[in-house]
Amino acid sequence: MVLKGRVWKFGDDIDTDQIYPGKYLPLTDKEEIARHAMEGVPEAEEFMRNVKDRDIMVAGKNFGCGSSREHAPVSIKGRGIVLIIAESFARIFYRNCINTALFILECEDAKKIKQGDEIEVDIETGEIKNLTTKERYKAQPISGLEMEIMKSGGLIEYLKKREEK
Amino acid sequence: MGKTIIEKILSKASKKDVSASTDRMAGDRVWADLDLVAMRDFGGPNAILEYKNSFDERPVFDGNKVAITFDLHIPARNEKVAQNQKICRDFSAKMKTRLFDVNTGIGQHILFENGLVRPWDVIIGTDSHMNLLGAFGSFASGVGTTDITAALTYGKLWFKVPETIKIVIDGNLNESVYPKDIILHILKNIRTDGAIYKAVEFTGEAVEKMSLAGRITLTSMVTELSGKVGFIEPDDKILRFVHERTNTDIKGINADSDARYEKVFHYDISDLKPQIACPHSPDNVKDVKEVEGRPIDQSFIGSCTNGRYEDLKIAAEILRGKKSKVRLIIVPATMEVAKEALKNGLYDIFLDAGGVITNPGCALCTTGHPGILAPSEVMVSTSNRNFIGKLGKGAEVYLASPATAAASAIEGRITNPREV
Repeated sequence: MVLKGRVWKFGDDIDTDQIYPGKYLPLTDKEEIARHAMEGVPEAEEFMRNVKDRDIMVAGKNFGCGSSREHAPVSIKGRGIVLIIAESFARIFYRNCINTALFILECEDAKKIKQGDEIEVDIETGEIKNLTTKERYKAQPISGLEMEIMKSGGLIEYLKKREEK
Repeated sequence: MGKTIIEKILSKASKKDVSASTDRMAGDRVWADLDLVAMRDFGGPNAILEYKNSFDERPVFDGNKVAITFDLHIPARNEKVAQNQKICRDFSAKMKTRLFDVNTGIGQHILFENGLVRPWDVIIGTDSHMNLLGAFGSFASGVGTTDITAALTYGKLWFKVPETIKIVIDGNLNESVYPKDIILHILKNIRTDGAIYKAVEFTGEAVEKMSLAGRITLTSMVTELSGKVGFIEPDDKILRFVHERTNTDIKGINADSDARYEKVFHYDISDLKPQIACPHSPDNVKDVKEVEGRPIDQSFIGSCTNGRYEDLKIAAEILRGKKSKVRLIIVPATMEVAKEALKNGLYDIFLDAGGVITNPGCALCTTGHPGILAPSEVMVSTSNRNFIGKLGKGAEVYLASPATAAASAIEGRITNPREV
């Protein structure tokens, strides 16, 4: 599966309070949750105004550290982001992305990708083409089980399908 | 080949999924049977609504193995929170799960006080500090809403068996130095991404001597190292505690001597001085001496990291007969802790010192909880995180031991507990 989109770039150690501030935790409606995606980062206003469907997020190390809130990936996906590439992800955030079918890839060269670049990404192989700079990078491909869960549309869909068999 | 603690637990827990002889080692994916699924007043309502969407009225896999704890906005602080708590109560009544209401305290602490945590158990919960239960030799992990939703009906969950990092802590603690100082020192050394995706085993003579409260302080902050779980081999006193609470025979757990570790770190803490994590990261750690004198506005003693009776007792010994120059907030982890503190006169000491004692719970670790700071205000806290904005926009939070937090309250500025 190949995804193509424009990049929103963020730094290292973006924690879940920046992705989805704690004051909105009582919200349970997915559309309402999406309205507050990335509200705690300095670039929040620009992101909110200009993010569009099929955009891709790129970040540094330990993206999504902090609390276990699933609101974080749900809010990002709700704003149309289809894929997050980071040098590394925090553990629970990583699980939450797999389980909610928000595609993620870990790539050591993530820092070479800049805000606004157009990139093309093969989810299975981890090949990343930067259409703006003509550079190519290689992300670590996602393992079998996690990929199956993401492709099923998330953990619950995956388990339901297995149950039917 | 020998196994680490996590390899042993996940091999045993995934036996149904694979042939009984198959060992599950670091790097493998497993479907593990769950001994306990815990959720709380945040995360819980989302999982329950998701459950209704996905599975409608289907019963949960085992109501005795599902526990709902209320520890964040307790008692409910607004209508939305009240609605969320009602969602939890209604679901619990219908599905016949366990429920610990607003009068109990911090979730993981409630679970082990009530005999729901044993060595070898696999436990999940909607709290990123679930892993502190590794102090009992159980694998407890914070997970998201979807994990909980699926686990509620299937009673199992996928895990990547993590590599393990071993941390050996030798030496004797100096006066005025506590387990919190040790874990802050380790954070300074291996940083907040030092154990990303990894299990951590703490061992060594300093760990062996630690009480349950000290062990919890260590294992809780594995979260800040970005680790999956922190284990300490349960010794006789821990096994006795579990036996008393569960009323069942308890089997201990230990790593094999030939287990494979990704890394081994050695610390001798004999010369360690009181440590403090400066804004805005738990690994921005210095000797208290280096930031001594910085004026503060508030001191907070509590949290799942430092809210046990023993932690309160350390603070009380320092505060006895003294007055706090700043706002001082004290929050016992659970009602059991609160009762012991009350019985032994700690409440008198805190109240005479000018402290505010609130009901047991997560307190200031919850955004929007009473005690939040104004911009530019400074707090010393015994909690585990000081991320920017978490406890008030523009505020500065320093993480330290209960002794440092108490000493700093008396002086109204960051103070080495040895000086009070």
